[in-house]
Formats: sequence, C-alpha cells, structure tokens
Amino acid sequence: MTIVARHVIKEFGSSHTRVLHDLDVTIADGEFVSISGRSGAGKSTLLYLLSTLDHPNHGEIIIDGETVRALSVRALHAFRCRHVGFIFQFHYLLPELTALENVLLAPRNVGLLEEKRPQAMALLEQFDIVGEKDKFPAQMSGGQQQRVAIARALIMNPRYIFADEPTGNLDTVNGMKVMQILQEVHRRDRTTIILVTHEPDYAAMASREIDLCDGRLVSDVRRGVS
Amino acid sequence: MFFLAMRQMVSRKKQTVLIFLGISFSAMIYVVIAGIQLGMRQYLAEQLLNNTAHIRISGREAFIVPEEIEPRVAGAGELMHWIVPPSGRRDIAKLENPQGWFDRLRHDPVVVDFAPRFSVDAILARGQSKWAVGFVGIEPERQVRVTSLEDYMREGSLLDLRGGGKKMIVGSGVLKQLGARLGEFVSVTLGDGDTYPFKIVGVLHLGSKELDERLVLGYLTDVQQINKTPGRISEISVALVDINQSKRLAAQWALYGSDKVESWEEANAAFMQIIIIQDVVRLVITISILLVAAFGIYNVLSIMINQKQKEIAILRSIGYAPARIMELFLWQGLTMGISGAIFGMLLGLGVNLLVGHIDLGFDIGKGRSLLISYAPSIYSTALLMSVMAAVVASFFPARHASKMTPLDIIRANL
Repeated sequence: MTIVARHVIKEFGSSHTRVLHDLDVTIADGEFVSISGRSGAGKSTLLYLLSTLDHPNHGEIIIDGETVRALSVRALHAFRCRHVGFIFQFHYLLPELTALENVLLAPRNVGLLEEKRPQAMALLEQFDIVGEKDKFPAQMSGGQQQRVAIARALIMNPRYIFADEPTGNLDTVNGMKVMQILQEVHRRDRTTIILVTHEPDYAAMASREIDLCDGRLVSDVRRGVS
Repeated sequence: MFFLAMRQMVSRKKQTVLIFLGISFSAMIYVVIAGIQLGMRQYLAEQLLNNTAHIRISGREAFIVPEEIEPRVAGAGELMHWIVPPSGRRDIAKLENPQGWFDRLRHDPVVVDFAPRFSVDAILARGQSKWAVGFVGIEPERQVRVTSLEDYMREGSLLDLRGGGKKMIVGSGVLKQLGARLGEFVSVTLGDGDTYPFKIVGVLHLGSKELDERLVLGYLTDVQQINKTPGRISEISVALVDINQSKRLAAQWALYGSDKVESWEEANAAFMQIIIIQDVVRLVITISILLVAAFGIYNVLSIMINQKQKEIAILRSIGYAPARIMELFLWQGLTMGISGAIFGMLLGLGVNLLVGHIDLGFDIGKGRSLLISYAPSIYSTALLMSVMAAVVASFFPARHASKMTPLDIIRANL
C-alpha cells in the first residue's frame, strides 16, 4: 500500500517549462508527509500527480502496484471517491448546499447518503461545528468552512488525504486547529496524509518532511513517529 | 444530481425565472398562433367542404371548337379556312349517366355516402324585390350524411325539405334581400316565363356573405321539375371513409367516363397553397422564437458554468464522473424547458380562450369571434419543441463543463 513516483518529469505549456525534474518519491502507507518549498518549487504539482488528478509527462505514478495512467476514467473516479480525500486552500464548498449536505456529497454520489449521515454528524461534532450544520458556506467563518471541507474529505474514510495549503487562508488559531485535526486523523485512523505547506511550523508537525526547490528534491527527513 | 440541479436553480432565482419565462412565452406564442391559424383553417375548410365534399363529380362543359368539326366536314388532314369559325356551347353541364354513378358509389366500400344535386340559376321575387340566386336541388337525407350543412341551419332543418312539395331553405342574406320571413311564399322563375311559388321552411347561415346571399336549397325533384328536366343531375358530392384518399380516387374515377371528377384539394388549389404558406410562416415564427429562447438557456448556462468552475473541480475530485457533471447541467435545462413549456401552454390556452371571446363585430361561421383550434397536437408540438430547444441548448454548455478537468480549473484559479 504505497504511492510511488518513479522518474517523474512534469512540463507545462508549449515551451515545455520543466516544473519537476526526474523525481523519485515513495510514500508508505500511514505516513504523514509534508511537502514544502518556496512558491514555484513544484510542490502543488507533485501533490496533484501523487493524487491522480494530473499525469506526468515522463515517468509513472504507481498506487498500490497499479500504474495510474493505465486506469480507466471510471476506475479513477471510483478510486478518488472511495479512497481519496482532498482539502484545498480555497475550501471550495458548494455555496448552494448546507454544511451537512456538503459533507455528504461523496456518499450521495455512490448511494450511501443515509448510511453516512450519522458519521457526518459525528465529524461535525468532532470539529465543533455541529451547530452550523444547516448553515450555508456564506454564513460561516473561513475556519468553519475549512473544517467542513475536512469533514467532507474524511467522510468516506479515505486511505489517503491530499491537502494543498489547507491553512493558507486561515489565521494562526484556525490554522493550528486544522493541523491538529489532521494530526489526530493520522494518529487515530493511520490515514496517509500528504500536505503541501510553505509554513515551516506546520511542515514540522508531519512525520516526514520533503523539501523541494526548483523541481528537485532538496531534503527528505523522517522523524520518529509523532 | 437532480437535487443539486434544483439547488443551483433556486440559488439563481432571477436567471432561472428569466429563462423559464423565455421558454414560456415561446410556447405561448406558438400555441396562440397555431390555435388561431388552425382554427381559421378549420373554419375555411369546413366552408369549402360544405360545397365541394371530398370528391365532386360534375358534368363537363362541352364547348364547340373548330378543330373538332374540321375532319368531319372536310375529311381528315385537309386544311380548312373558316370565314366565321363556329363557336358555342353544346349543352349545360350535366352528368352523362347519373344512374351509373349511383350504382357504382353505392357498392364502393371506400364511400361513406354520396349526395346528388341539381343546380340552376333562378330569380326569386317577392312583391317588388327580385333577387338572383343559385337554386340547388338536394336529397336532404343524403346531404345531411355527406356534409355538415345541417349545423349551419339558423331556422328549421334540412330534413324539412323531405318529400318535396315546393319548399325551400334560403340563405340568411337572401331572406334579408327579399325582405321575407320564414313561412312566407316566394315566387321562383328560371327565366322561361313560368313562375312557381315556394314556401320558405328554413334559413341557412354559413357566415360567408357570398354564400348566404346566393344559396337557396330545394328538394331535388322540385328543382328538376321546374327546370323541366326530370332525372337530370349536375353534380354528385361524395364523402369518403378516408379524406386523404380523395386525390387518388378522383384520378381513378375520372377514367370511368367523360364526367369531371375533382378532389377537394384540386377544387381548392389556391386554398391549399394558402394553407402551405401558413404552415411555413408558423414554422418560421416558431423556430425563431425557439432560437431566442434556446440562446437564453445557452447563455445563462455557459456563464453559470464559468462561475461554477471551482465547484465542478470539487465534484470531480470527490469522484463525480464527467457524465454526472453533464447530468447536473442537463437537469437544469430540462427542468426549465419542461416547466416553462407547460406554463407557456397554460398561458397560451388562456390567451386563446380570451381571444376566442372577443366580439369582432362581423360574422365568422356560427359566431362573431375568431374560431380557435384547441387540437391536442398543437400542445404536444409546443411541449416537444420547447423541451428539444432546452435540451439542445443545455447540452453544449453541459458537455463543455463535463470536459473540464479538476486540475485545469484549480490551476486557473491559483
């Protein structure tokens, strides 16, 4: 149960600007990995490659022994639905839906709406936003919205969580709350978490720190189990 | 996806209502235009069919032409020069062998019934007032089965003519011109000096000035008798089981003899052209209205999809497949299309009911207001076209949305 990036090269645009240079990364099951680096270092690009949203120009991404590129569109969507949770910087909640309905989007897609409802309530309770369950995103604070987004990412009990600067838009108090939630999820469910952040404090909360600079691996530090 | 589609529509009330109204109005306009046009046509067609039936068999007018006489006088192939070329008419139009036609029509399974007629020109006189009319002898029992003349009787019934005995039914205009009343006697002359008194037993009102001022009906043998031509028939009206067969049958029957056989389409070629032009006009109007409505849907959905890129990205990353994103937007187009069409149809029905009650101040058929068709086909067409426009207009933006990959959108928004 690993995610392997092998000789991954990613280029953008007609000028073939190289964002990632021949990168090799292996992420084991149950790791809490932070990817850091300055903006433009390619950290988000790496995240999207590892999370099946994007494909490399050269090299391959192998998840659980299967090459991502060889999977069908249907299989890819099924995989994302069942095993992957995404958290973005701009929480991207659907503005027409209440907090609870946003959390239940993925279960609705696979016909598990009612089965997952108690779990959704439990998550909202755990994140201290159960009182907001019937509010629309526009009626909530940024921190609350991000916690709804995390609940949405967790509802299918994913094996992997990909988070792209989840704290980027939050103040320190809310940012810390989000990081603590991620840490707790990692500790309790052994969920593999891959987090992109440019804040050293948050990067240090992970069990493994990958540092990128100009599309190349600068350092890869494992810490003892936190 | 239907759930989310509804939510998105509710959250954009203004746009949704605008599109909804656009579709409603196009459906409404179609229903109104089609209702009035088809109602008018139905009325006109009824008027025509009253007088011509599905197929009309009439005597051929025989004119004297020099080319016919030349070979008999001078022998075949000879060139003749006339000082005064012969001209004239051999006889008034009549059927050569009416009895033969009766026998044939009586046993033909495609014929519902037929009604013989004999028409002459006559002058009616009452005191000082004289009025020229067309005097048509009919067999009332048969006429009732072949045409809907009976529906236009203002006083009395066609069947009052039964048995003969110098009774007649006059058009409402004839009655007015003569200053006569129901039950009075009017003298009829055919121009040969003899006059016959006829009793007015009924009044016919077709709603067409020319007909109402010229048409007088009598019993067939009465008219034959005053013309001193017993047994003569000038035309036979035939009602068919299938009206659409009339053209084919008319062509076939024309081969039986020298008589003229006309289907109602041929007899009213100009009218048929008007119908075709009307159809084209209605189609063009409808299509242009639908195009406008469809563009409305297309625009709003396109703009919305641009605004909703982030949400599309989220749905895709959560595992919603492209087909489901497409569903999301198709549902919105379809919902607005169907609900708008139904509302528009109700509006159109309301407008039609209103227009159908406006007193125009002159006679049209039995009433004084526009005749409006409420044929179900108008409404099913309106529904079908609106829904089609909505589906087509939402299909392209929906497909565009389904082709967006989550990453393109995320990158564009970073």
